[in-house]
Amino acid sequence: MKTIDEEIWAYIDGSCNPAESQRIAEKIATDDNYAVAFQELSKLNDLMASDELEEPSMSFSRNVMEAVALEIAPKKLSTRVNNNIIYGIAAFFILSLAAIFVYVLANSTYPAQSTFKLPEASFSFNMSEMLSPLSMKIFLMVDLALALLYMDRLLRRKLHANKTTLS
Amino acid sequence: MQQQLSDIELITAILEGNTAVYAELVKRHQRYVFTLAMRYAKNREDAEEIAQDTFVKAYRALGTFKQSSKFSTWLFSITYTTAMTFLRKKRLLTDSINDEESGIQLENHISAYQANGHDQRSGYVYLNQAIDQLLPDDAAIITLFYKGEQSLEEIGQALKMEPNTIKVKLHRARTRLKEKLQLLLKDEVKELL
Repeated sequence: MKTIDEEIWAYIDGSCNPAESQRIAEKIATDDNYAVAFQELSKLNDLMASDELEEPSMSFSRNVMEAVALEIAPKKLSTRVNNNIIYGIAAFFILSLAAIFVYVLANSTYPAQSTFKLPEASFSFNMSEMLSPLSMKIFLMVDLALALLYMDRLLRRKLHANKTTLS
Repeated sequence: MQQQLSDIELITAILEGNTAVYAELVKRHQRYVFTLAMRYAKNREDAEEIAQDTFVKAYRALGTFKQSSKFSTWLFSITYTTAMTFLRKKRLLTDSINDEESGIQLENHISAYQANGHDQRSGYVYLNQAIDQLLPDDAAIITLFYKGEQSLEEIGQALKMEPNTIKVKLHRARTRLKEKLQLLLKDEVKELL
């Protein structure tokens, strides 16, 4: 059950429905508890609504613009893709699959006795061939390149953060 | 007279290379961002650092801003995360002695206000004093609702909470604010409310 304050706040905010609003308005007019609460909360509401915003220092916007000048200019994300393009690609694949399916069905013959056999899959492979010295060298080189790229990115980010803090 | 450009028009200009107009966006929103930062930081120096960091982060991420929501809502969500990160870092540096000191300062601060007589102007002083004593989230919700021109849904988006949670928190915040004002002003509260 709502308290008097809750009802009054909903009435002041205009968040209750017209019937409820009418009921609360009648209560305010007839019930002293509602009338006192309404008077108090409306004054508090007016005080909060008319309170002024805090003002930062005079140099605030200049400081921000100086910090911003050190940053790379923002660009609209080129990776942002229109949803219609995604739906178009999906529709193309679905239609292609449907067309192939219809084509296969239209051209297939149905023999009385099927002679179809599933092909046998062979997954045997030689592990020692895969772990040759050359493949290991390639693997390590790729790892090293990835580690250097990661370090470069991390250091750049730290450099940017330091610049911002110093400014 | 030149017509004022909308936030979206300014953002489009920045993304097209006219980065100088970002100053206009900063001027337009700095008071809102700074006030919100004050709700978390409780002092001007820290709030200014949070607000400045917010605008730099917003500039960096401007290309990712989806224009489906208001720029102010997006900016307030950055302010919130920046303030949270700032407070987390600061908490690591603050020891219990500092906590005790800040408690004593707060008490002196209140008595200084109590010594003054109050008119319409001091009504706002008491109000801000009471808001400062609220939980940071409660104070931020009140600021966004009354000053940031944000709906409950938008506040939820900025503070990463459900609109229903915001509704409950707003009610709780206003109730606590009234209680804080009653504590601060005692019998004189009747003159203000």
